[in-house]
Amino acid sequence: MNGMGTCFLAGLWVLTFSLPARPQERFRKSPPIPDPLQELRLPLIESVTLSNGLTLAVARKASSPLLSLQLVVLAGESDSRPDLPGAASLTANMIGRGTDLLSAGEIEERIESFGGEFAASVSLDVTVFTFNVLEENLDLALEILSTIVLKASFPDGQMDTVKRTVYYELFEKEKDPEFVAKRQLFRMLFKGHPYQTSIFNEDVIKNVGREDILAFYDRFYRPNNALLVIAGNMNLSTASRKISHYFNTWTARRIDHPLLPSPPPNDKEQVAFIDLPQAKDATIFLGNVIFPATSSDYFPFIVLNQLLGGTMGSRLFMNLRESKGYASYAFSGADFFKSCGVFWVRAKVTPEVIRSSVQEILKEIGPAAMEKASSFEIEQAKSFLIGNFPLKNEPLTSFSLEVARIKTFNLGEDHWNKYYENIILVNLERVLATAQRFLQPRPAVVIVGNKDLIADYLREFETVDIYDVSGNLKSTINKGVEK
Amino acid sequence: MSLKKSAAWLLLAVLSCSPGGLNAQEQAPPKGLNFPLTQYKLKNGLHVILSEDESLPLVSVVVAYGVGPIREQPGKSGLAYLMENLMFQGSENISPMQHINYIQRIGGEFNANTAFDKSFFYQTVPSNQLALVLWLESDRMGSLSVTGVNVERAKETLMAEQRQRRSAEPYLESFFLFDEILFPDFVYGHPLPGTEEDLRNITAEDVRSFYRTYYVPNNAVLCITGSLNVPRTKELIARYFETIPRGNDVPDPPAPKLVEGSPLRDSQLRESLAPSPAFHFGYRISHLQTGEYYSLRILDILMFRGKGSRLYKRLVKKERVALHLSGGLEDRRGLRAFKVFTISNNPVMSDLCRKAIASEMGRLRTTLVSDAELAKAKDLFKMDYLGRLSTCLLKALFLSEAFLSDNRLEDLAAEYAKYLKVTPVTIVSLANRLFTPENAFTLSLVTK
Repeated sequence: MNGMGTCFLAGLWVLTFSLPARPQERFRKSPPIPDPLQELRLPLIESVTLSNGLTLAVARKASSPLLSLQLVVLAGESDSRPDLPGAASLTANMIGRGTDLLSAGEIEERIESFGGEFAASVSLDVTVFTFNVLEENLDLALEILSTIVLKASFPDGQMDTVKRTVYYELFEKEKDPEFVAKRQLFRMLFKGHPYQTSIFNEDVIKNVGREDILAFYDRFYRPNNALLVIAGNMNLSTASRKISHYFNTWTARRIDHPLLPSPPPNDKEQVAFIDLPQAKDATIFLGNVIFPATSSDYFPFIVLNQLLGGTMGSRLFMNLRESKGYASYAFSGADFFKSCGVFWVRAKVTPEVIRSSVQEILKEIGPAAMEKASSFEIEQAKSFLIGNFPLKNEPLTSFSLEVARIKTFNLGEDHWNKYYENIILVNLERVLATAQRFLQPRPAVVIVGNKDLIADYLREFETVDIYDVSGNLKSTINKGVEK
Repeated sequence: MSLKKSAAWLLLAVLSCSPGGLNAQEQAPPKGLNFPLTQYKLKNGLHVILSEDESLPLVSVVVAYGVGPIREQPGKSGLAYLMENLMFQGSENISPMQHINYIQRIGGEFNANTAFDKSFFYQTVPSNQLALVLWLESDRMGSLSVTGVNVERAKETLMAEQRQRRSAEPYLESFFLFDEILFPDFVYGHPLPGTEEDLRNITAEDVRSFYRTYYVPNNAVLCITGSLNVPRTKELIARYFETIPRGNDVPDPPAPKLVEGSPLRDSQLRESLAPSPAFHFGYRISHLQTGEYYSLRILDILMFRGKGSRLYKRLVKKERVALHLSGGLEDRRGLRAFKVFTISNNPVMSDLCRKAIASEMGRLRTTLVSDAELAKAKDLFKMDYLGRLSTCLLKALFLSEAFLSDNRLEDLAAEYAKYLKVTPVTIVSLANRLFTPENAFTLSLVTK
């Protein structure tokens, strides 16, 4: 090719890429208008209480070839004795580790023989055993589930293995600054409340003995203190027949399990620091006690949370990351328990802007900032929550866990088929009133990071209490001086 | 129950249990595979797949292109992965990152991923927002903004990510090296993220040319699943996609040219980041005969899936020679590998791992798998397969992937049944043909 030809082609190339290749249709210039919102029709949650007091709940998903089972025992870490934190977790982890007739290995083999997936988890109020299985293998799953729960023998030989597993799981989690920070925040907020028992570190595991686990099991693992949820292609009458067959030997016993009062919200300036030498940035976790999920404030509050820090488009992220450049992320959220909830903010920031970041967060979540909220912002937050609700409940296990949560906390249709309606009814006035009530008290603040990198910046705070990972107060920085 | 009826039930039970007998459960297509499917092609070659599911007011939209590292040229590795990033950097009517904002604002979720020969872009949104997603996806298919500035910015992001990963993740380099050993052909063996040097060499014109060649309707599939009205969805698809011009025909990628008798059959690597010795073991699988793929998938589950798998039980639970075990079957457009990776406490344990793996692979060649073990593997297969169809998004990804892999979507139930027909004999004969010393490769990692 001669030089002129090359030059001509280059010119043509520039033209091709500097002009649209084709005239553009007008409709491409702006986003389309959405269709009307489609109605949400979730399956009915049907339930029945069996003769031994076990509550059975069924949510039918006829198209699903898989079934998800949740056996919920209405006792969690806060039910462990105050001198024996971790007893609930160890009890749950010992389920499946042996019965009088089956060893741990045989149980594992039997579950694997039909491709079952079994897991246990413990929160403050409840213990949940999850079993996912092919519809055709339901009987096999119920047989083994009832055997390992009803006939658990807690063999001595398995205690050490389980304790070691729980110990190392906690030990591993302590490498995560967010885990360490959130645990310290809960420790501060639940101080003096029975929920405090739920917050423990790995050192206490050794204090729990087999007899303590037996006592916990004997007291709380009762059908009248439990709930079984089945989600998938199953109707209540078939489920009820099958569950009665496998769980009818489970005997009820009266359990005094009073509802705990909510801990009071924090209202004093508290800043805690935990040294985590391997951390490169500073992790901030701050928050306060709010109401339980049964409260009528729930829906305006989750709209409020969405506006403040639910996603990357929310105020905290836009301010701390996009506008100020302090943080790699900043989000807010809420956890709900039986007696209360906790609203929190989490952010990862560079060490030199810790104090400025905390100030910005407090400003963003203060009721004064909410007064500038517009109806447009509220509608955007609602739009996210409405759109995201079916999405997060679509996977079968999530769907089944949500049914279990609704039944456990007696949340009813408000949190299920009336969810859309409840969100749509939230308006600016309700959000402002909720912010006034629940964002007024001063939140507790936790900072986690490498002390060598952060110490100078911590002195910018009036007072900082320095704790170790286990929550023991080691020293205090007061007006820049550490004692 | 009458005697006659009992006898009938007994006969049925005997038939179900006998090896060659009819197993009713295995013959009937399972519920998860009975979903409606509409397929057609637009004039510009875009293949469309629609599947309705009214259970929730959601739709998932996947746009998948037949492009990945397999289409990259030497010296330009990482281009497909770079394109994944650039697809979010704006198009004629959508400014950078606005795609993400639009999806998040309505409570939707989005993501993208690049595989060896395919690239997927996907989102799940409330069903009333389907038009928005089609608007966004059609804009980046028809008019992606490729400027020197955004290409350089995306390159910098990926190079920084690579530097960070390569300096922080032990064993990472060894995975790339082992791929080059197993697949000694640039097209099939180079790393998906590319090298820093190659990324630096990529120009905006390289990107434009790659985009013009491969991100065209005739090299793509649009799959929509969920709560959709088929006629209305077809109208929307026509509105947004029909006027996007067809690209040039996309040729088939080159067949692999493997260097036979590679001197790298048993290699060693000193890894400065590795805290413990580790070991890669793999078989290269170049040719499969008709039907062998199904046995290979079941064998993969038998060896790897879960704590009850043969390798986990032997290496981790029984002999306790491995601290970590991972691996499985990998498919690079017909060129496959069966890979195992282990980490051990010390070199002695690592050597024991090597022997135990060799012994387990040998057992596959000499001993028939028991019926019970095979039934367990098939149940796990069913859980996995049906699980991949259990949400709108998973189903849309599955269908797009299957279409681009030349699977006939109408035959899903027949395809599924073929896995369930695998027998101990098909597994042992497959193992004898594939798992031979000539196909085996190892890479030992020694700590510095």
